[in-house]
Amino acid sequence: MLELAACATLLVSFLCGAVQFGYTFYVYNQLVTAVGNGGKYAAMRTYRGKDAEKGAAAIRNLVVYGDTHPEGGAVPVVPNLTPENVEVKWKLGESGAPEFVDISIINHHIDAVFGSLTLSGRPSVEFPFLGRYAPGEFEP
Amino acid sequence: MSVALVLLIAFVGLAFDFGRIYVARNEAQVYTDAAALTAASRLDGTMAGVQKARDAVDKLPGNWNLGTERIKGVVVEFSSNGSNWTGTPEKDQTASGPWSYARVIAPSNDLNIVFLRAVGGPANFRILARSSAQSNPVRLVD
Repeated sequence: MLELAACATLLVSFLCGAVQFGYTFYVYNQLVTAVGNGGKYAAMRTYRGKDAEKGAAAIRNLVVYGDTHPEGGAVPVVPNLTPENVEVKWKLGESGAPEFVDISIINHHIDAVFGSLTLSGRPSVEFPFLGRYAPGEFEP
Repeated sequence: MSVALVLLIAFVGLAFDFGRIYVARNEAQVYTDAAALTAASRLDGTMAGVQKARDAVDKLPGNWNLGTERIKGVVVEFSSNGSNWTGTPEKDQTASGPWSYARVIAPSNDLNIVFLRAVGGPANFRILARSSAQSNPVRLVD
């Protein structure tokens, strides 16, 4: 009986650890992919100077939902991820045109089964801006 | 009991270490994609463009290992046709411009193996990632 208790404790703690780490890695990997996709999209899209915040919202939506204009009830790529958890930072050149775009995850809690991990500033990625610069345009 | 324990650690370690390897590979791939696009965006066919591409990749931030380590040992190569690559176009007599392709390789990032080492696995696993991009228009290529 005593042996069973010792074995079961060990076994359960190993399995809990495997589940905990496995789920955390899975979510983190999904976030890396989402941030990378968001970075590629941001790099290629038109930067409209009159509506930069609306453009950033589309990038956030792409990271979170995989869609720039998600319908109501859209499911995020990982649980509890919201557009507020995505930071979009443009690095502007001297002329005001963007040169790089940084996409990162901020204040996102990964609620695994037996604990929680908060991600702030990672994963992150920086892509060069390759799209069209339209300082006088609004988003359609 | 001890045989079962070793097996258990091996399987848990397999899940843990392979999970980390999978994440690290993805992080490195996202970085090389960004770096290849950055390099290609600086190419203008000339040697000056090649140098600008190298400088831009040097300045590009990139982290791996769950975002905790900076990607190091990045190699940038160039090509005029997308098939013959050289890291030193200024010295390579067999290759000639105009340089319109850039390839970024992250070849020397070793991930420490935690559990599998305990049951006879390797101490490190090398994370490899590579991306190529073309200029004008700038885009990723295979």
